[in-house]
Parts: sequence; C-alpha cells; structure tokens
Amino acid sequence: MVYRVYVEKKKGTAQEAVALYNSIRDFLGVRELRMLRLLNRYDLENISQELFQRAVKTVLSEPQLDDVYYDLPKAADAVVFAVEYLPGQYDQRADSAAQCIQILSQGECPTVRTAKVYMLYGDLTAEQVAAIQSYVINPVESRMASLETVDTLETKYDIPETVAVLEGFRELDREGLACFLEKNGLAMDQEDLQCCQAYFRQEGRDPTVTEIRMIDTYWSDHCRHTIFNTIIDGVTFEDEHLRRAYEEYMQVRQSLGRTKPVTLMDIGTIAAKSLRASGQLDKLDESEEINACTVKMKVNVDGEEQDWLLLFKNETHNHPTEIEPFGGAATCIGGAIRDPLSGRSYVYAAMRVTGGADPLRPVEQTLPGKLPQRKIVTTAAAGYSSYGNQIGLATGMVDELYHDGYAAKRMEIGAVIAAAPAENVRRERPAPGDVVILLGGRTGRDGCGGATGSSKSHDLHSLETCGAEEGQRSGGTEAAKAVPQSGGLPPHQALQRFWRGRRVRGSGRAGGRAGYRPEPGAQEI
Amino acid sequence: MGELADGLDIDLSRVPKKYDGLDGTELAISESQERMAVVVAPEDAERFCRLADMENLEATVIATVKADPRLTMTWNGRTIVDISRAFLDTNGAEKHIIVHPAAAKPWARDIPADFEAGYTALAGDLNICSRRGLSERFDSTIGAGTVLMPFGGKYQQTPIQAMVHTISLEKGHTDTCSLMSWGYNPAIGEKDPYHSAYLAVVESVSKLIAAGASFEDVYLSFQEYFAKPGQDAARWGDPFAALLGAFKAQMDLGVAAIGGKDSMSGTFEDLTVPPTLVSFAVTTGKTGEIVSNEFKGAGHTVMLLRPRRDSRGVPEAESLRALFDTVHALTSSGKALAVYTPTYGGVAEAVMKMCLGNGIGFAYEPDVTLDTIFGYEYGAFVVELAEGATAEGLVLGHTTEEYTLSHGMQTLSLRELQRVYEDKLEPVYPCNILGSGRDIPAFSYMAVSRPAPSIRTARPKILIPVFPGTNCEYDTARALEDAGAEPEVFIIANLTAEHIARSTERFARSLRTAQAVFLPGGFSGGDEPDGSGKFITAFFRNDRVKAGVEDMLDRRGGLMAGICNGFQALIKLDLVPYGRIIDTDEDCPTLTFNTIGRHQSRIVHTRIASNKSPWLAATEVGQVYTVPISHGEGRFFASDALIEALAENGQIATQYVDLEGRPTSDVRFNPNNSAFAVEGITSPDGRVFGKMGHSERKGPGLYKNVPGDYDIRMFQSAVKYFKEN
Repeated sequence: MVYRVYVEKKKGTAQEAVALYNSIRDFLGVRELRMLRLLNRYDLENISQELFQRAVKTVLSEPQLDDVYYDLPKAADAVVFAVEYLPGQYDQRADSAAQCIQILSQGECPTVRTAKVYMLYGDLTAEQVAAIQSYVINPVESRMASLETVDTLETKYDIPETVAVLEGFRELDREGLACFLEKNGLAMDQEDLQCCQAYFRQEGRDPTVTEIRMIDTYWSDHCRHTIFNTIIDGVTFEDEHLRRAYEEYMQVRQSLGRTKPVTLMDIGTIAAKSLRASGQLDKLDESEEINACTVKMKVNVDGEEQDWLLLFKNETHNHPTEIEPFGGAATCIGGAIRDPLSGRSYVYAAMRVTGGADPLRPVEQTLPGKLPQRKIVTTAAAGYSSYGNQIGLATGMVDELYHDGYAAKRMEIGAVIAAAPAENVRRERPAPGDVVILLGGRTGRDGCGGATGSSKSHDLHSLETCGAEEGQRSGGTEAAKAVPQSGGLPPHQALQRFWRGRRVRGSGRAGGRAGYRPEPGAQEI
Repeated sequence: MGELADGLDIDLSRVPKKYDGLDGTELAISESQERMAVVVAPEDAERFCRLADMENLEATVIATVKADPRLTMTWNGRTIVDISRAFLDTNGAEKHIIVHPAAAKPWARDIPADFEAGYTALAGDLNICSRRGLSERFDSTIGAGTVLMPFGGKYQQTPIQAMVHTISLEKGHTDTCSLMSWGYNPAIGEKDPYHSAYLAVVESVSKLIAAGASFEDVYLSFQEYFAKPGQDAARWGDPFAALLGAFKAQMDLGVAAIGGKDSMSGTFEDLTVPPTLVSFAVTTGKTGEIVSNEFKGAGHTVMLLRPRRDSRGVPEAESLRALFDTVHALTSSGKALAVYTPTYGGVAEAVMKMCLGNGIGFAYEPDVTLDTIFGYEYGAFVVELAEGATAEGLVLGHTTEEYTLSHGMQTLSLRELQRVYEDKLEPVYPCNILGSGRDIPAFSYMAVSRPAPSIRTARPKILIPVFPGTNCEYDTARALEDAGAEPEVFIIANLTAEHIARSTERFARSLRTAQAVFLPGGFSGGDEPDGSGKFITAFFRNDRVKAGVEDMLDRRGGLMAGICNGFQALIKLDLVPYGRIIDTDEDCPTLTFNTIGRHQSRIVHTRIASNKSPWLAATEVGQVYTVPISHGEGRFFASDALIEALAENGQIATQYVDLEGRPTSDVRFNPNNSAFAVEGITSPDGRVFGKMGHSERKGPGLYKNVPGDYDIRMFQSAVKYFKEN
C-alpha cells in the first residue's frame, strides 16, 4: 500500500514559491503568470497507517508552516505538472524522510519517493508553459512525473548476471575500430584503441566490455592528463619573451639532466624540481603518495611547537557543473576534499573561484543546447555551498570571474586547505596479502563515467546524452553515462571525523590515493 | 581504486550498492567522493571495520593486494577484468604535437579620460562589483578558526584578498594560521597567456604579503583551463605559453607550484574559454601578524609602494622580492594599518574597496595621474600608514571623514558609488532585500532570581549528540571544555534499524548521568524533508529519550541549549519556549526559511533582552554581543501576542540589533527577517536556551576585520550554575 500526501507552505512562509514566481516573471519574462503554487508530494510504502499519520505530523510537515492535503487540490484553471528525480539520482529529501521515520518507529526503513508539484495560474500559452518547464527541469537530473497514483514504489531491477565479452574485437580492421569507437562513445582515440587491440591479441582473448570501459576511464584526460603528456616535437615562436623563457626551460632541463620528452606536464612541473634541487623548497613534504600538495610546518599548540603537515589542493568540475550545476559544483568541492582527506588530514577551509559569462544577459540570448548562465551561476553556488556548509568547511573566499568565453563551458574551481599532526601520518607500501576496505557511501549509478564525460568534446547533444539515464545499457555494451555526482553527504562528513582523532592513525601505503592502518593499541571509543 | 597497488584482486560482488541492478561494468567504473578505499594489513581489517561502524560508516573488505602486477576484478564468480598493470600504465598510444604559440596582443588597461566617469564605470564593472550576495551563502565561520571574515570593516564591505584560518586542532588552541589566495585576470589571459600566467603568480603571492605574510615559505598550486587543442598548433600554443610564463615566474621568484590540475576541455562548438591559469598561493603565519585591508581611520597617509617594472608593467623579480620584504616589515611592525594589492581594477578598485568597510573616504593627491589610478599595478601595494609611520614610495593621498572620493577638483559620493557597486549583481545574487521597516521594541527583562540544580557538580557532564549532518560538535565541545565542563560527544548511528535501536538505548543511558544536553549546529538529515531539525526531533520523540530529558530537566534541575540547528530542534520539540517535549500545533512559534531564500553567513550583533536564563547569567540586559551566524532557516516566526507574552516573562533572550544597538528588520543586521528581531529564546524558567548565532565560534585572534565582543560567556555561565548554585 502506497500512502500519498501533499505538503504546501502556508502564505507568508512560501519563500521557494515566491522566488520561483519572481524569476519566472522577471527572468523568463512570463508576465502573464498570476500565481504559482508549489507542493511537495511524498509517496510512502512499507509503513503502517498509524506511523504514516505520525510521520505526516512530525516529519513531513509542520503545523505552523505547512498545509497538508491527501488529494491534489482542485485547480481547474491552473496548469499542473509534477517533477521528480531521474531513477538513480540521489534524493536527499526522500532519504532523510525515510531515516527520520525509521528513527520514530525504531523499525525498518520505509520506502519514500518525492516529487514536486507545480500549479501555474494565469493566461499562459503552450510555449510559456514549455519555457517554464524547461527552466525547472534539467533533463540531466530530473523529469516530468505522472500525476496518477501508484500501486507500488518497488522498482523491478533486471538483475544482470554477466557482462558481455566483445567477441571479434581482435579481428576488427581499421574501419571496424573506428566504428567501434563511435558506437561505444569512448573518450579514447583510434590509436589508443589499437593499443588495446594489440594488447588483447597478445593476451589471446577478446576483452569484456568492462575492460574496455575501465581502460577508457583510466586513460581519459580527466584521470591521466593525456594532453599534458603529449610529446612536443617542435615549437615555432612569434614572441621574443616566449623564446627566451623556452631557452631558460631547456637550460634547466639540461642542468637537471632530464631526458624525458618535452611536454606541457614537464614545463608545468620542472620549476619545482629545479628549486628543490637548489635547496629552496625545504618545507616540501615528499612522498610517493600523490594526494595533495603537502608542506611541513610548525604549529604552536598551547605554547608547544609541534610538527605538522599542511595540505592543499585545487580541483575543477567544469563539465559536470556546466550541464548539472548543483551536483557538479557540489562534487567539485567534494573532490577537492577527497585528496587531502586521503592524506589523513582534516580539511577545514575552502575557497571557490569560478568563471561564467555575463549572468545578467536575458534568457533568450542563451546558446542553443546550453543552460542559461544565470541558472548555472546561481545553481552552482547553491550546490557548492550546500556541500561545503553541510560538511562543515569554512569557505573563506568566494569569487567569480566573468568572460564571454566561459559560455563555452563554466569554470568551477574549488580549493581546500587541511592539516594534520605529522606523527598521525605514516606511510607504508601496500604489501601482498593486505586487504582493501571500501569506506563510506554506497555505489550507485550517479558516479559512473564522469571522468570520460568531461574529456569528450561537447556539442549540442551534451545535455541530452550525458545524463544518468537508465535504459541506456543497450545490449550490454553501453554503460550508463552520468556526471560524477555526490550522493549524500553524511558519509563524507563522518569520514572527516573518522580520520581526525587519534582513534585511527593513518599509515598511508604509497602509490595510491589512500592507505591507512589503524595504529596498534589505538584507543577505542 | 585500481590505483592503490600494482597487483589487486577486486571482488565487485562485495561492493555495497544503493540499489540492485548495477552490473559489473558500472561497479567497476563508478567514481565517487563520499567513499574511499583504504589498504590495511589483514590482521587489522576486522578492528578497522568495527571502528568505522562506531562512526556510523559502512566498511567492507572488497579486494586483496597481490604480488602479481595485474588488476583483476571478479563479479558473480566470474573474472570480468584481468589486465596487466604495465599495459594500463602505458596510458594508451604515445601522442605527438608541434606547437605554434600566437604573438601576444597588448593588454594594458584602458585609461578613462575622466575621474568620475571612470570610477562609476569601474564600480559597476562585472569583474569588480560586489560579490557579497554570492559569498554570503557560504558558511565562512565554522571551525572557529576564521581570522578574516570574507568582508571586513564594521559595515562588512571590504572583500579580503587572502583567506586566513587558524590551523584546525582537535583539542587545544593555536595562533598559527594558514593563508591562501589566488591570482588570474581573464582580460590579460585572452591577450597574452604568457604574461597572464606570470602575473597570476605575482598576484597570488602579493595577496598573501598584503595580508601580513612573510615571503619565506610560499607554495603554489595551479589550475589550468584551456580550449580542447585537438591537432591545432596555435591552440596548443596557449597552454604552452601560459605554462612557460608560470615557469618563468616560479624561477624568478623562487617559489614553486607543488601541485596542479589541468582541464583541457573548454570548447563548445566554435566557442572557447579564455586561456586560464589560476595560481593559488599558500603559506603560514601567526594571527598576530595578520593585517586586514579596510581603511582603519580618517586622516591617515596612504602610499603606493611599487616594484620596478618593464615597459608592459610586469614587475622585475628582484625589485618585487625586495618590496615583499619592505611590506612585511611594515605589517609586522604595526606601521601598516591596511594593505591592498591592486589587481583587475588597479589602484582605483583597491582604494574604493578599502573605503567601504568602515565608511571612510579618500582624497587622492592632485598630482597622481589617472594612469596610476586606473592602470594595472601588479605587484604594487596600497598601504594605509599608522600615524607617524613613514615608507618610501608614492604618496597616493589620505583618508577622510567625508564619505567621498576626491581627485583635484572632482569629488564623488562614495554612497552613490557603493550603490552602483552593490546593485550590479543584486538581480542575480541578492543580499540587500528590504525588511518590513516595522519599528521593533527593544525588550528588557532583568532577572531577579534564577533556578538552581538539585545537586551541585564541579565539572558537569554535558552530552553533545551528533546526528548524521551535525557539524558543530568540535567547536561546541571545545567551548564547553574551555569553560570547565566535561563534554561527551555522542554519535547517533543510523546505518541499520539495529544501529538506531542501540544508539537510542545508549543515549538514554548516558542521559541519566549527564547534567546538561547541548544540541550543536549542522544540517541534521541535510535539513530535509523540507525543514530543519527533523532528524533530531524524531530522535527526541522516542519514549526513552523523551523520559530521560524530562528526568534531567524536571527532577534534576539540568540545563539544555541548542545553537542554530540545535535551536531549530529545540523549538520544533517545544522545549523552547514551553520547557517540555510536545507535539507542536499551529500556534507554536517556529523557525523557518530566511526571507532572502538562501543561506546567510556573516557577523551580526545581538542585544541581551533578558538575562533570566542561567546560560546568560554573566550578561547584563542591554549589552551587545557580536556573533557569527550561518543558517538558511533562522527566521523566528510567531504571533505578535505570543512574542509579547514571552517578552513579558523574560523568555525573549536576545534580539538582532544595528550598529546603534536598536532592534531592526534591516537584512544587514537581522539576517533572516525574524519577527521582533528575535535571535534567541528560553523556556519559562530559562533553563532551556536556544539561539541562532554561533556563540561557540570564538577564540583569540579571530574575526580581526570585524570588531566586537564575541564572548557571551554562556558556557562558563552553565558551568558556574552547576558549580556554585
């Protein structure tokens, strides 16, 4: 049995409805909109009628602020539609509601699904309604929901049992490989794919779809800096400054005895190598781990000088934020936090520097295939702040740069700073027989393919095809594509708390993102 | 996760899933931030998982490290990945390119013909105008380590150039702080990526120096963002030139980027992002040496200290390094009261922003040219000198009482300029919405007597429950410990029904030996479903917990308090203002969404309206305390009649006030539009106290650019209540 309830903020407290009403009238320019009502719809299953009633009163609504309806209010003269998250997208509202109800009952967790019901009043044309709908629905994360009642919230998943082996892959000719690349929407290029083919010929078998997808992710620019590692075979100069700087770079290479090829990566990292060689970077903390920038420092703790490590890290999530601003920007700060956290440090402050095109430009001037800049800048700010505020990170500086070029793609940079007592960080190499523990949130579809998605060139179809859409798995060769997106905060926050105390002392194993070992005899709580 | 070790056997079937239906491929490539993979020795695994469980974290062994350097994944008993590490590490086919960077275009700033017109255009420039409406939705004070608020001065208007925080300790106090800043100008980036990157480094470092840092141990990290270069030699030239510029700057200054991140996908059809290299600079210092950048007073001489520069305006490295030392000598000796390094908008922007914070005006020396005022001055410093202090450089002008900017015969109103500056992005990022304008009375209730506990305790145990989403427990525990209490941080686990049952039972048991409960701030349950504190209230409505609270409050004379999310929970349980847990009805007061419709984080001032509560025993009615707020749902909501009745009984504890100490609906002071400017209320006898402002976020050396008395001494008062009553 599915119970349904609608909750609407009373007049005077309906901020969200008022804000949306204003932006539809002022920003979309739909002056004919006379009134707008917003209702939260909850569907609950695996719950007794009594518990449902209690939940409506104490969890799903507040009598001071909300009106509650069990049937959709009659609105003959209104346009009514409902919006829900795409299956697989994390819905914090539903998740929290279920957990609150579980705490009330001390029993099993009910199933909760939410939707938002919009009621538009006024003489609106079909085009205006469509414009409003496309303003409130980002197809990457949400969709129109049915207004009908449902019998069950249970989702019947096809339980997959096997992954396809790509029979005949080794025999594909040049044309076949090109076709394969196209069909599977891979981020790698033809030469990369040929390397794969050569490898699997050598292995004497065809790859599984998982292997190809994994290699594609591994080799994507997002993970491996393909462009930064491209070998620069020659340079022609127009500019004297550049020529002289390049000569200086070549001299530094020579003095360091570098034989590795000239790449953007080498130019970007050689100054640190040179300054380190000349003894100027004495605070640098060197290790085989590559989690975050790490320097040694002295910290005065209640009058005593202690050895600490300071970690910092910047991260971008430009592509995800462009197409799904809230989740993309939230994941930007989430990603920035992850690396120093992997260094067993406590992340305490963040900075945000973003780039957009003029957000004051009218919505009609939005490029086809793009979200309006104003929608991107405000929703991204909401996403990043929501994540940072919840995890408990002081965001000390927020700035935004404006340049028309950022209409091509938003710039969303997060930078974080973290610290840990030096003695809390021990590093060891992983040894055979060690085990790997997965700690924190569960795996969903929302984190798949983010790396390759951001490395592909984008065109008009990006918005439609890069979503976390189910049903994209045609024939077992098409993995679901999605923006990397954070699914729920509390685990991340608990991770911070987990590493902080001396309860668990870190001892990193080199070569990876993270490696820890509880200190023998560490005090248990 | 495949990067942890060269040889790994991963069993994907063991990976915990949000829902069924994920196949092996999806499990293999899923990337997520809110979990991590950890290598531990096999004998430690069990204990590790147990510790994680106590922290409400799911931990599952999913792989084993092996000597054979191959990455193997099994799923449903079948091997679906078996690849050699050596092959994975080839990173695919080797790529080659020829690079042809384009000639740089000139990028000097256009100099306006007229002072007033130039300034007005500058104040409304998208890249210069106020970002307060954007910034204030981010919590800037959690962790109680914020040395500089994002906007400084008593009016909180001067944006800082470097963020400064004390190093976060789990226990104890420190005056060691970290500084971080950034540098980049897209208007130069699009013309000359080489010099843009060079100046980004200069800008980021100069900002640290301006905040009081020394140049000794500065480290950098870069963020590159460029068009997808494809096979286009000229496109490749942009990142090539930028990286060379950054290389040159690092070598010249002797500072290094020890990390960085590149994004090479800034292309949409024919449109490309401007060549972008953002430099982040980081160092450490002492809070005592930090200098904020708003003008401190009228009648002070203001200098422009500049390095030698080449014809394009790029600083010469040796001269710049010497200048860094000169400026540090001025800041560390107290001779510089405020320092700002000019960036995108040159000296004009620097001076205007320095004026805003404390509402101070500025008169340029008549012989300072418009070139100097409006041109780029990277690596230079605008310095407000203390009385009697001197420095070598160009005298730019002096600060004035009149809130104007003047140059020769021209005088313009800073109030007018500020309007242009603040209004530009107001439609996108509102921060100056109108309040009700209603006259609000200042309540005054002087306590005659206060309640007492049934038994005295020298060191009261104060229980701090941590719910999923709570995030102020460290700051709260530290404030309580500093005051002499014994805080017990209690993690409420909710991974399964069994975890919940166990937490509830253990919490009820802990309650029996606690003298007080403190509900810290945060976002329990992410402030969902559509309202804050619901997770906490659901927990406290449990019969055993509820009975424990009643026993503590009613029979043992205990105390209870909540800040922010904790206050939201208290009011939604009716513990304030009614002193007991009941089901609320529509006449109960509550807290709801800020009228501005978003999170607000800034500093506000609160006036003691009643000192009836034992928590406020150290205060006098009428005193004003300064306090950081950070919340999305802080609007106190109740009928006028109820508020007046509460005030009558001394239950309105604190009200938001303006700089003159008057309760107000002005959003700059009453950030959420609370009825009657109510910030905190108590139960009938004052033993339960809830407030929105984060009084636990205090400490020496904090909020140096927003002066005020930040210590309301509520934690000491609570300890004293149990100790001396």
